[in-house]
Amino acid sequence: MNKEVTVYEPNQRLKIGFFETWVIMFKNIVKSKELIIQLFKRDFFMSYKKSYLGLAWILISPLVGIVSWVFLNSAGILQPGDTPIPFPAYVLLGSSIWGLFMGFYGSAGGTLGAGAGFINQVKYPHEALLIKQTAQHIANFLITFAVNIIVLLLFGVTPSLGILLFPLTAIPLFFLGAGLGLIVSVLSVVASDLTNVINIIMGFVFYAIPIVYQIDKIENPLLQTVVQINPLTYLVTGARDIIVEGTIHYPERYLLVAAISFVFFMLSWRLFYVSEDKVIERMI
Amino acid sequence: MDKDVVIKIDNVSKKFTRSIKRSMFYGSTDIFKSMFGIKPDTTKLRKGEFWSLNDVSFELKQGEGLAIIGHNGSGKSTLLRLINGIFPPDEGSIRVKGKIGALIAVGAGFHPHMTGRENIYLSGTILGMSRNEIKNIFDEIIDFADIGDFIDAPVSTYSSGMSIRLGFSIAIHSRPDILLADEVLAVGDLAFALKCHKKISDFRKNGGTLILVSHSMNQVRNACEHALWLDKGMIKESGPVNEVCDKFENFMFKKDSDDKSSSSVGTHITNDSNTIITRVEFFNDKDEQTTAFDSGSFFKARIFYKCNRSVKSPIFTFGIANVENVSVVASYSNYTLDLSDTEISGEGYIEVIIPNLYLRAGNYRCTTTLAEGDVETVLDWHEKNFLFTINANKKLTHGIAQIPVEWKI
Repeated sequence: MNKEVTVYEPNQRLKIGFFETWVIMFKNIVKSKELIIQLFKRDFFMSYKKSYLGLAWILISPLVGIVSWVFLNSAGILQPGDTPIPFPAYVLLGSSIWGLFMGFYGSAGGTLGAGAGFINQVKYPHEALLIKQTAQHIANFLITFAVNIIVLLLFGVTPSLGILLFPLTAIPLFFLGAGLGLIVSVLSVVASDLTNVINIIMGFVFYAIPIVYQIDKIENPLLQTVVQINPLTYLVTGARDIIVEGTIHYPERYLLVAAISFVFFMLSWRLFYVSEDKVIERMI
Repeated sequence: MDKDVVIKIDNVSKKFTRSIKRSMFYGSTDIFKSMFGIKPDTTKLRKGEFWSLNDVSFELKQGEGLAIIGHNGSGKSTLLRLINGIFPPDEGSIRVKGKIGALIAVGAGFHPHMTGRENIYLSGTILGMSRNEIKNIFDEIIDFADIGDFIDAPVSTYSSGMSIRLGFSIAIHSRPDILLADEVLAVGDLAFALKCHKKISDFRKNGGTLILVSHSMNQVRNACEHALWLDKGMIKESGPVNEVCDKFENFMFKKDSDDKSSSSVGTHITNDSNTIITRVEFFNDKDEQTTAFDSGSFFKARIFYKCNRSVKSPIFTFGIANVENVSVVASYSNYTLDLSDTEISGEGYIEVIIPNLYLRAGNYRCTTTLAEGDVETVLDWHEKNFLFTINANKKLTHGIAQIPVEWKI
């Protein structure tokens, strides 16, 4: 009998080589392809099963959201600036991208929580949960995003061809959001306060990104500095500008932040892997 | 690791914290240490921690069946989870050869709004089967669960028995090399329980290894040949199943007797302090008072009462329960003795006679009550308060009683 021998020891995952953990985690994801599909099906389609309108809700929510933008637009509350597209459309796109980021953060943050119920009873690679969570978020986002674009087109706003590059600009947003989320996912098991703290901080961060205003219109020097050192400024506006204008305004800074986000994600992913061991027994 | 050994547990310990806040704090510090690559020292107990498992070692060869027995909180489920790899040990090492199937949580990941059919794919995948594997045994799973048309209905519409049957069926069909079962063989109705036993015995015959956690000594004796008795996280006994189970059952009895100096071990509830049962004495066929009987011998219990007022139409009840708390005898005085026109007062006794007490060897506890008028109007109640023993004999029986049986051909 040549069966594989599995060994469980204390602090086992800390003994694994630094780079080896990534290889293991990546392999785990490939191996759990079917699990990811099954869990995705369960959570994505089943969340609408008990409603009459079913999946139509995925369309309804963004449509209703847009009504408010249309209202603000016609009421002229949002001051038109020298934005390349009408200001409400500009805000709409920006906040939609912010939503994409927050979704990445939230879905990664729910990684361990998503498995609650059987995480304590069945052994399977939990990386699968991260991917499932993210896939679920992307599916929701794509529908919302498509609705947004259609509305923009109806209002006579045409995105640039750069929109084709938009998926690429979503990747650093994923790295930063998921990186943050994975840490929260583990730590919130032993200190749920952390989730609340980060959620409050995120409320402020939103205003430290030129979404509802333009970067060159800031007069307060303090806010100017904050906006400039905020990494999300570059990731969010970069993604928006590539859709609107087909260019990224601060390409060097953008690339730097993107690279840092990648490294941050890899570190946090590894941290997730070595420490989830320590928290699962505390999830009971 | 030897060729035949499939599970090897070496000096395994695991600690837990009872306080949630402490647990959170220790979890956080461990994570911060891991963050900087410092290995937390898992071998020392911090304040508020206790060893849920302490220095446990054993090995199991392919095809063997091991029962893990012990009181609640003795570490049985923790041990199963460690072997399953849900969380790591704090000391020692665990080696497992082959695929583990866990019947710890049947129906893992079931979604209530999905049909039974859809849930088979979901739960099967969670248990580590590929889509094709599930497809191949899909009909077997449905056949075994035997829930009829419900297979196409959402699981939320199932009775609890049905979802357990489906969950069990998926788990048992996931073709593991080693099966970890936690108290699950008692699920469902009798027919299904038999099916499960058959399935597990087939699994064993085909070289499967079984670890069973159970409180039922009967089940354990039937399903396994080895047993491991855990007490406060440590191995108290291990060896052939009958030896260990006998010792465990005796220990339970002794513990009961040692807990209180008198013969009184259960609970005593008095609804009327004027009318109480004072004690119960047991007598053998020579009318000698004793607490040890041979199986099949004459048994007499004398129930003493003391009534400061007169009790009209009294009813006495008498019951015997075994160590597993299964009631093996229960009788009311009004079954055979009409006391409806009788009044009792002062001190006296009533006798219960069992001409042949065909119980198997072991320890038993008696419950007795005194009621007035009808059985529900209880005046005094001794719940499992009086002990006696059926002496060990060499006869092996699996039932709860040792009724004489003859075979002819």
